[in-house]
Amino acid sequence: MHLIEATGLHKTYRQSRRTSVEALRGVDVRVAAGEMVAIMGASGSGKSTLMHILGLLHGPDTEDGRRPTLRIAGADVTALSDAERTRIRARSMGFVFQAFNLVPTLTAQENVALAAEYAGASRPAARRAAGEILAALGLAERTGHRPLELSGGEQQRVALARALVNEPQLIFGDEPTGNLDSARTEEVLALLRRINRERGQTMLIVTHDPDVGAACDRVIRMRDGRIVADEPAVQVRAAA
Amino acid sequence: MRMLRELSRRKLRSSLTILGITIGIWALVVFSAMANQINGLVSMGSEFYADKIVVTDGEAFATTPMRLADAAVIAGIDGVAAVQPTVELLWEKDAPVGFSAPDLVSGSIPGADQGHETFELHVATGRRLSPEDTGNVIVLGSTIARKHGVTAGDSVELRGEPFHVLGTLQPTLTSPDITAQIPLATAQRLYLAELPPLVGENLVADELVNQIVVYPQSGADFGAVAAAIEASVENSATMTGAEWGDTVGATGAIFNAIIIGVAAISLIVGGLSVINTMAMTVAERTREIGIKRAIGGSRARIIRELVAEAGVIGLIGGVVGLALGTVVVMLANEASRAGGTVLFDLTPQTALFAVGFSTVLAMVAGILPAWGAARLDPVTALRYE
Repeated sequence: MHLIEATGLHKTYRQSRRTSVEALRGVDVRVAAGEMVAIMGASGSGKSTLMHILGLLHGPDTEDGRRPTLRIAGADVTALSDAERTRIRARSMGFVFQAFNLVPTLTAQENVALAAEYAGASRPAARRAAGEILAALGLAERTGHRPLELSGGEQQRVALARALVNEPQLIFGDEPTGNLDSARTEEVLALLRRINRERGQTMLIVTHDPDVGAACDRVIRMRDGRIVADEPAVQVRAAA
Repeated sequence: MRMLRELSRRKLRSSLTILGITIGIWALVVFSAMANQINGLVSMGSEFYADKIVVTDGEAFATTPMRLADAAVIAGIDGVAAVQPTVELLWEKDAPVGFSAPDLVSGSIPGADQGHETFELHVATGRRLSPEDTGNVIVLGSTIARKHGVTAGDSVELRGEPFHVLGTLQPTLTSPDITAQIPLATAQRLYLAELPPLVGENLVADELVNQIVVYPQSGADFGAVAAAIEASVENSATMTGAEWGDTVGATGAIFNAIIIGVAAISLIVGGLSVINTMAMTVAERTREIGIKRAIGGSRARIIRELVAEAGVIGLIGGVVGLALGTVVVMLANEASRAGGTVLFDLTPQTALFAVGFSTVLAMVAGILPAWGAARLDPVTALRYE
């Protein structure tokens, strides 16, 4: 069974009264549980929009006769309310962003614990879980530090810990290595790979970086709001 | 703790907002304390005058002489239960007119009220005046006793004469505090001595009074009794407890209006500055709010966090304002106590109200910006620079 099954995804963003942008023009995509998938493409190709819809941050268009379907773990999530989508994001999904996006006033441990609290954990339980996952990612010594006291690589590992703390089925990365140098990129990629192998968590990573694509099982290429290629990463590597 | 850290991100702005609330609450505390004191005086005063009619000469309040014989006439009027003829004098012969009421000396025969006086006076030291007391003996109200620093057994000077202090009374917060009691005969002698020679030469001390306190029978119509008194005693004026309350109650109403005004101003100014501060906070943290929403923070949770943060601003402002107000009230009371007048009464209810008011106000003001924050689209907010 596929963890994600989506068909007929369209998304149009209205920019002003006259102009609008068709970010997705009919996308069908399936992702199996445990897969690590890269979504690649130029800026404006629709790769981020696809991630936002699969990550339940936005809903697909349902106007103009569109009949999209979106199932996650078998459940129809096409037309949920904001509160329901928020609850699923909190409990079943983890997000890692390019700019790390940690809360500056909170310590590493508090940043991670926040995600656990949003998923319903009590504050002590959330802190405990946060401490454990940070230790597992080699940040045991840095739990009391604020984001600005951490290096870029460390900040991204804290963000990764935040995405992992609730042990979600699905992890989304939006250019997770975009702000890191090549050594740090290697480090974060290796970590993602290890987590995917050891925990079996499904990952969808939006990226420009061919090295990131090559580290995944499968690469989906997008252009102008459509999927133009969908192939195992081995072939991508061979072609390059 | 987290909330304090959030507030300390913009120390100057948070401090200024808190300062604004502090000033409002400070003013609220000080004015409320003043109103408490005045309302206290009014209600105690109304109670004191509730059961009696005070009869004076119609010319001026308790300053021109009446005849003791008038008391006998009044005692015969229907509905009158007891009559207490009194000589009331100023403690200082030429007391200047000031903000507070002058100290008084009252001469009467203890027990003439025949138990109709319901306002209870409690002895602090020594004893009360008794009908057998004569000569220069005196019982002092609490304010006068404190002013002169005397207790029972001491001596105090009145009109250049030494008086033996028989006792002092406990505070009542109204006129008995600033009244000293002496035997009627002694008061009559002092009164005659201070009348102008032209008025005084035809008068005899033991026929003199200047105020007659009338206790109507229970159930009697005070207005009717007062009218009957004015009809039977030539050139007399009466004042009932209800009239006293009306006169003095007007002052209390003005102070209550001032407090409501101060509360309304601090509500508007404090509320607007909290809205402004929180709106700026939300604008600055747009991206952060986007992150929180993306990783699963619900709208209700975002609102709760921001409203609580606004509440902390109000709480701090309220507590600091209360503390400053308390200091001012204490210093002012300490300074005026020597003069015998206490201006402020800061009650626990006032203190609780002030802090609760500022906290709730700030939270309510925080709702609007928090609601705006919760409505942000997470994706747009994440892209916000």
